[in-house]
Formats: sequence, C-alpha cells, structure tokens
Amino acid sequence: MPVNYIPRRFTVIRDRDLCISCGACVRQCSNECHSFTEDGSSVFSNSNSCVACHRCVDLCPTGALRIEKYVCDYRENANWTPQYQQEICRQAETGGVLLSGMGTPKPYPIYWDKILLNASQVTNPSIDPLREPMEIRTILGSKPEKLTVEKKGKSTVKMPPQVVLETPVMFSAMSFGSISLNAQKSLAMAAKNLGTLFNTGEGGLHPDLLDYSDCAVVQVASGRFGVHKDYLNNSRIVEIKIGQGAKPGIGGHLPGEKVNTEVSNARMIPEGSDAISPAPHHDIYSIEDLRQLIWSIKQATGNEKPVSVKIAAVHNVAAIASGCARAGADIIVIDGFRGGTGAAPVRIRDNVGIPIELALAAADQRLRDEGIRSRVSLVAAGSFRCSADIVKAIALGADACYCASAPLIAMGCHMCQTCNTGKCNWGIATQRPDLTKRLNPEIMHERVENLINAWNHEIKEIMGGMGINSVDSLRGNRMMLRGIGLNEKELEILGIMHAGE
Amino acid sequence: MKKVYARDELCVNCRLCEVYCKTAHSKSKDVLTANKYEDPAPVSRVTVYGDKMLSAAVNCRHCDDPKCVKACITGAMTKDKKTGIVSVNEDKCIGCMTCLSVCPFGCVKEGKIALKCDLCRGEDEPTCVKNCPNRALVYIDLEGAEL
Amino acid sequence: MKYVIIGACAAGLACAEQIRKEDSDGEITVFTKENYLPYSRPSVSYFLKGKVKESDMYLRKKSEYSSKRIDIVTGAEVKSIDKEKKTVSVGKKTIPYDKLCLCTGSKPFVPPVKNAEGKTNAFTFLDLDSVKKVKAKANSKTKAVVIGAGLIGMKAAEGLSVICESVDVVELAPRILPAVLDEKSSKSVKKYVEEKGGIRFHLGDTVVEAKGKGKTITSVLLKSGKELECDLLVLAVGVRPETALAENAGLEVNRGIITDPVTMRTSDENIYAAGDCSVSVDMLDGSKKIIALWPNAVYQGSAAGSQMAGGSLELTGAYAVNAVDFYGLRICTCGLINAAGEQYSDKTVQKDGKYKRLVFEGNRLVGYVLINDVENAGIYTSIIENKTDLTTLKDDVFDTPSLLMFESAEREKRLKGVI
Repeated sequence: MPVNYIPRRFTVIRDRDLCISCGACVRQCSNECHSFTEDGSSVFSNSNSCVACHRCVDLCPTGALRIEKYVCDYRENANWTPQYQQEICRQAETGGVLLSGMGTPKPYPIYWDKILLNASQVTNPSIDPLREPMEIRTILGSKPEKLTVEKKGKSTVKMPPQVVLETPVMFSAMSFGSISLNAQKSLAMAAKNLGTLFNTGEGGLHPDLLDYSDCAVVQVASGRFGVHKDYLNNSRIVEIKIGQGAKPGIGGHLPGEKVNTEVSNARMIPEGSDAISPAPHHDIYSIEDLRQLIWSIKQATGNEKPVSVKIAAVHNVAAIASGCARAGADIIVIDGFRGGTGAAPVRIRDNVGIPIELALAAADQRLRDEGIRSRVSLVAAGSFRCSADIVKAIALGADACYCASAPLIAMGCHMCQTCNTGKCNWGIATQRPDLTKRLNPEIMHERVENLINAWNHEIKEIMGGMGINSVDSLRGNRMMLRGIGLNEKELEILGIMHAGE
Repeated sequence: MKKVYARDELCVNCRLCEVYCKTAHSKSKDVLTANKYEDPAPVSRVTVYGDKMLSAAVNCRHCDDPKCVKACITGAMTKDKKTGIVSVNEDKCIGCMTCLSVCPFGCVKEGKIALKCDLCRGEDEPTCVKNCPNRALVYIDLEGAEL
Repeated sequence: MKYVIIGACAAGLACAEQIRKEDSDGEITVFTKENYLPYSRPSVSYFLKGKVKESDMYLRKKSEYSSKRIDIVTGAEVKSIDKEKKTVSVGKKTIPYDKLCLCTGSKPFVPPVKNAEGKTNAFTFLDLDSVKKVKAKANSKTKAVVIGAGLIGMKAAEGLSVICESVDVVELAPRILPAVLDEKSSKSVKKYVEEKGGIRFHLGDTVVEAKGKGKTITSVLLKSGKELECDLLVLAVGVRPETALAENAGLEVNRGIITDPVTMRTSDENIYAAGDCSVSVDMLDGSKKIIALWPNAVYQGSAAGSQMAGGSLELTGAYAVNAVDFYGLRICTCGLINAAGEQYSDKTVQKDGKYKRLVFEGNRLVGYVLINDVENAGIYTSIIENKTDLTTLKDDVFDTPSLLMFESAEREKRLKGVI
C-alpha cells in the first residue's frame, strides 16, 4: 500500500457492550466497512471506506454504531484548506476530473434564508386553512394573450394544452440509470397519487412505468436516449433538456457498468456501452433551432403535450428564457446551481451558474417586461429544502417547483454525495440488484407522498397566514417577501424590499 | 388464515427478523439481553437463507394439513382449530425432531424441544413482520391470491 | 355408516380422525386392548427416565374424542372378525361394521432364551404397561441387560442408563441400529452412546440362557460364553406385525397384512389395514416391507380413513422417515439408508461430530442419514418424496438445504406454503 495522502473522512465507532454481532451492518454495507471475525463470533469495522450513509447506523437493532467525523487537523490556512489539499492529492493520484454526487456543498448564499414572508394583521384577515378552502391547484401551460367570446358566452380561443397539478411541487428529472427503477417507480407512484408529475430524465421510459405515463414528464436531452414517438406520447409534458443547474454547459456520462439490460432497453443503446450525453444538442445552435425542435415535438404529439424547455441558471438566464418563450416553449424550467446531480465534475458543480432565486426573479421580471409572461409557465428547480422555500419561489414568480433531493432524502438518501460510485446503500443511485431491492416502492411512495402532503399543509398554512387563499394569488406576489441582510443590488434583482420597508 | 409471507425479491438479507424473533421468544424480551446475554440463547424461529443477491426469511407456513402435526409421535404438535396456529406443547414434546425431518419448508428448529413460529400469539402483527425494514415480510390472508 | 377400527395408536387414531373429517354422521368405534386412551408409544422410554409424565403422553385431550364423536373402547380385545357377516366380536359382544380398519400394530418378538419364560424380572419393552413394569423394577442398583440394539432396545437402554447402575446391550448383528443407520454412522453413534451413557455393548452375540434362583434372573449367559450379571432383562429384539386377527379372518397375509398401496384396502373390500401391521410398498425401490414407523402409520391411517368414508385421500407412497435422539445426539434418517446395488451412489461427510450421508439413485435423492447436522432435514425428505430431479436445484444438494435451493417457481410455491 503506497502512502495514503488523504486521511479518512469518518470513523465508525462500535460500542462493544451494545453489539450483538448480528451482522446486519456487515451484510448491508456496500463499501465493506464491516466484517465478521474469522470464527464469526464478533464484528469489527474498518472506517476507511465509510461515506457516512448511515445504512448500518439506521439498521443496527441495538444502536451500537456511531459515525463520527474523523478529525485530523492540518496547520491552519484560510487559503489552503484541507479540502483543497485533499482534492489535489486525489487528482495527483488519479489524474482525473473530480466527480461528486448531489448539489454543491459550498457555502454560497442561500437567498431563501434571506427572504422573509409576510402575514396578515388587523387590516386584512388571515385565513384558517382547516376551516376555509385553500387552493394550491396549479395549472401549467401557455395561456392565451386574450380571451374572445362568442355571443352565447363560449370561448372562441383554442387553448394550448394545459396540465393540472394538485400541488405546485413536481419531481425533477432523474433518469433510470442514474437512479434505480425502484426509486423512479416510487416517484411515479407518488406523483400519481399526489396528482403531480415525475420526470424520466434522459433515461427513457421503462415499460414498467407505462401505467404512470399520465404523470410523466419525458425528457429529450442531447443524447436523445430512448426517444421515439411512443415515448413522446406516453407523457403529460415533453421536456427538452438544454442544461442542468449542477453542471451547466456540461453533458452527461452514465458509465457502461451501469448500463445493464434494463437500462440499455430503456435508453435504446447497447448493453454495457457508456451513455454519453453531449454538452450541446448538436441540432440546436440558436433560438431558431430550438423552435424547430419544439415544433417537431408538437407535431409528433399532435399538439397535445405542452413542451417544456429546461435551462440551467446562468448569467444571462433572463434573455435565454425570453428566447425560449419566443421559440414556442409552453413551460420554461430554470435549474439553479445548487441543484443535485447523480454525478458532476466538482469544479463545474461548485463554480458554474447562479442561484435559482436570482435567476427566477430575473427571468420572471424579464418576461413580464416583455409582455410574454403569460405565454409560458415558469418552473423553478435547484434545491428546495422545505415548504417555505416553495412559497418564496412562487412569490418570486414561479408557477411550480421541481424537487428531487428532498424526495430522495425521504427515500433514504443521506447526502453522502457518492452517487457516482454506484454503491448507494439505500438502493437509490445504483443499478446493483442486491442494492436496488432495498428500496421497496410500496414503502417509499408512501414516504414521498407523506412528505409532499406535509408540505402542502404547510404551504396552505403559510398562505392562510398571508390572507391568501389561492396559490394563483401568491404567484409573483413579491410584496409578500422582504429581504434580510441583502444589499441594494440583490434586493433590486429579487424585486423585493428590505425587511422593515 | 393470516400468515407471514416472505417476498424474496424484497428481502435485503439484513436478518433483523431473526434478531427480533429471538427477542420475542426470549425471557427478557429485551433485544440486547436476548441476543447477547441470555443463557440458553433464545432461538429464532424465522431463518433467512441465501446471500445478498437472493435471500428469503423462511417461516412456518401453518399448513392446512401440517405434516409436522401428522408425524408428531407424542401429540405435542397441534394445529389450533380456531386460529390455525401450529404450535408445540412444551410438556408433551420429547424433542425427537420427527417434525423437523418431515417439514418440507425447513421451519422447525432444534432445541431441547422442537421450536417453531407461533405467529407471536396474541400480537396483531408478528414481530418479524413488524421489524422488517423493507416489508419483505407481510402478514396477510392470501386466500389463493397473488402476493 | 358404522366404522370400526381395531387398534388405537398412530394409524388407528389417524384413521378415525380422517373419517370424521369426511363423514360427519358415521359412527366411529375404536377398540383397543390396552387400558389407555391413545398415547404415544415412542414416548415410553422418556416416561421410563422420567422426562414425561404419564398425563402428557396422551395424544389427544379426552374432550376431543367426545367432540369428534369418536368412541374409544379401552380394554377391549377383538377376538375375531367375521367378514361375511361384517361383524367383530369383542368379549361377549358382536359388533357390526360397514367398514373396518385393522390397525393392530406390532407385537414384540420374543427371542428364545432358555429359562427366561415366567421370570419376574424379564420384560418386553413396547407398550406402557410393559414399561411400567420395567420402571417398577429399575433402581440405582439395578444391573440391566437389554437384548436388541434396534430403536426400541436402544431407547430402552438409554432410559435405563439414567436409572440403573449398569446397562449391557446384547445384539446379534455386528452393529447397533442396523435398520436405521449405515455402518459408518452406526459406529460413531455406538461410541457416543458408550461415552455418554456408559452402556456396554456385546455385538454379534446373543443371550442363550437366563440363570437365577426360582423366578428371578440373576445373570445371563451369552453365546460367546460371557456371563453378565442381570437383575433386569429387557427383551427388545424387535417387533413383528400383529396379524393373527387378519389371518384368522381369512385375509391375505404374508409378513404383514397385504393391502392396496394406494387405498390401504385388504383382500376384503370392506376391510382396510394401516400402520405397522400392514405390508408397505416402499415408493423408493418398490420393495415390499414393513415400515414400522410413526409417520408412515399416520399417513396410511389417514388414507385408509378417507377411503373408508368415500373420500379421495390416497397414500402417495410409503417410505421410511425417522428421527431419534440419544443423549442429545440427533439422528434423522429417511428412505433407503443401506441401499445396495449398482444404481445407488452416496456421499458421506463426517466432521466435527457431525455426520451426513446422502444416498442417490441417478439424479434423485433416495435416502439420508443425518447426525447432529439435521437442519431442515424435512426439505431433504420432501426432495425424496417428490422425486425431485437434483439437476433442477440451484445449490449443491449437500449444502444445508433450504427453500433457496429450488428454482424460482418452485421456491415461490413453497414460500406460499404449497408443496
């Protein structure tokens, strides 16, 4: 063994007085941290490969296990932090691009935490959502410029396709391949029961999920994996993925070892081959090209499906959003840079893009200024951690929000950020059959539903407090928001006043 | 009758059912004491067979016409008419293990007397089912239906 | 419908209960010459050493017989059967029947031992009465001699060894448990029993003469010339089917009562026979033999009962399956254990006090001997009974058997509880 330049991350501490040597930890850890002694009489742990996923901790029947951060001090240096030193060592060893999973862990400002919500006092009454109707139904799709009505009162406007959601929360794109079929199925089941949508990502639609095509957003990404006419039509929304918040400007790479028979069938690529999504769509070099693709999809789907365009939040996001709207998109998804991913180059994830709060506010304002806001629905994505984040996003102008990390956490994800290794102990970001079966959709769809139902309750509660009884009245209602500790420029972009104003 | 069914496609081979079965059939009823200190050590009546790729928690089927009851040479093994539970009378059993050698499912365990699942008599849900982290064990009345 | 069953042990009771399952109205009468309600004969050695109380030996609660309307007549020896008139005579009474089942079981075979007859300290060892007599005689100073190292003799010896000062076992065959174990395992069990129980074996030998004063035996003389002190002589050489009644009634009998191997019917259409008294056709090699073992008796009794009541339950095939323990040593055996012939092969592993011998015929398992390695032995039994093609199993059949060794369809079935 050569010198290990990087200290381990965690220490597994086993309380010998509590360990009953049942071996649950041994059989559960895909990182092989736990082993039986040769005679099988006791269990010991090797912490070197521990990623703090807590599978062993959570399953240990006697609470004998504890995971601690391994503290190994370096000489203090505000510039050369241990993190950078370790990353250098990793690259010195492998010569490769650093990869990681989930959203950026860097302490960039989270504007949700610097925005405060309003509540009614005296002058307008707050509403008790337990006593009075509270509408959170959300309708996505392009709205007509104006309504013309014939004599009998019937509308003469041909409505573009609309999608009715029973909650403003949708599940964002996670492909079968990046997550397990069981994980995707759990989301699909939850979406169906909640009256919302899940998103196939660019992984195609597995035949097992055809029953859920009514609540599927199917993605057309740069790799065009699994895209065919039936795929497009087995959906509620077709989404063109231009970019992803966690890795703007970067394509995707599903390593061949994850492309098993099922994944290969769903993606329509040979088994074992790397699934490489190019950085750009090679047929889209302009807004006009995008317009052509949107038109083609609409043709293929008989103009019955709204077409959504998903872009990463980058510097000129507002102008791009405007272009997308003008290209004929019914829905624009803006994915902020804190959004999650199955695998992304660390440098990209941690340095490229802008926060969703600023991107959303800017795009919403730009579309309003141009008088085309009603042509498109705006969906915000990129790390919503709780219902308050959702409420704030809607007040900043979002029609609905895409969530992925939160439902994954509901399904067992512990944010260990090693999705890219394919050894997810919770059966989420893996295709290993011994691991994927750990995620039982029967249980997990219930947990995800519970989460979103809880959020729905909270959203209603918060809206009621504001004296608002419909999510439509909250949308773009920036008067309900106040900034705290933000500078003039930030407040200006967010379009909100400072607390106290 | 309601029985415990194992769904092998969902079994994660953690074997916690065994831990909790031992606890339920221990003197102390405490998970730590039962699994670490009790002497004689309690015996789990459910056993997980297999490996990480395929495993299943095998448990008494409480058959309609149980071979173990038929083969029992002392009348200790009986099937309760009302509950359908097949159980061992501790006073009558001589521990010959004839039941073990005829059970086609491998659900009788060795002990001083024959040991087997009693569906945690009186519990709404047997402890193995209650503690299965992946619902690989279900307690249902199948009546010929699919699992 | 009037059903009469003669004999109230494993087969008789199973027969009566099966009839009641299929015919809720018929009259069921069971005659037993013993003075007890059905009890566990295999438990008698445990009764001897005090592990079970007499009250725990009864196979059913008394109330079950009345609730099932099964009339058990104890102390009632059936003297004869008139198959033309369809009656049996019990004492002075003549009882009519529509269907009759003979479950007369076995009688102990008493070897010719000079001067043993009429002695007050020589007993057989089969039913509760005989064992009660043995128990009354045995104490910590007793020097016991058991003739026979078959299952009964060995269990008697084990029981006695707990009570008595010494136990000698004399067996004509060169090894113990010849019918149950193969040669190799027989040796290791013998060693274990000698160590654990202090039993002395005299194999390949036999008792030729009992010596003593008046009606009491004080020693026995062996063929080899050895003389053993003896205050208690147990004659447990073996058993023979009790066929006198059947023979006298004019039914076909050779070693045992001849029956149809599926319906258990005898040569008379209204008379059935089940259990140790009848000849079984071993499903594994087609040979006709007496399988004097409890599970077989119950299966046969149930089949006979169903057939008598017009039901459809048949005997799917007879085979030997047996489990026994000696001083905690667990022995499970099944099928053809001492199979000889070119078509058979076997694999045996003896390690760490465990012994496992599987006997194969081509791709089929036809027998096993498991000692102290009996986990899930019943799965082997089912593989033998179902004549499972071993090439369809996923694992090596020699590993600890489990449901996981079956391919998925069979596994699913079994996990649901279907065999």
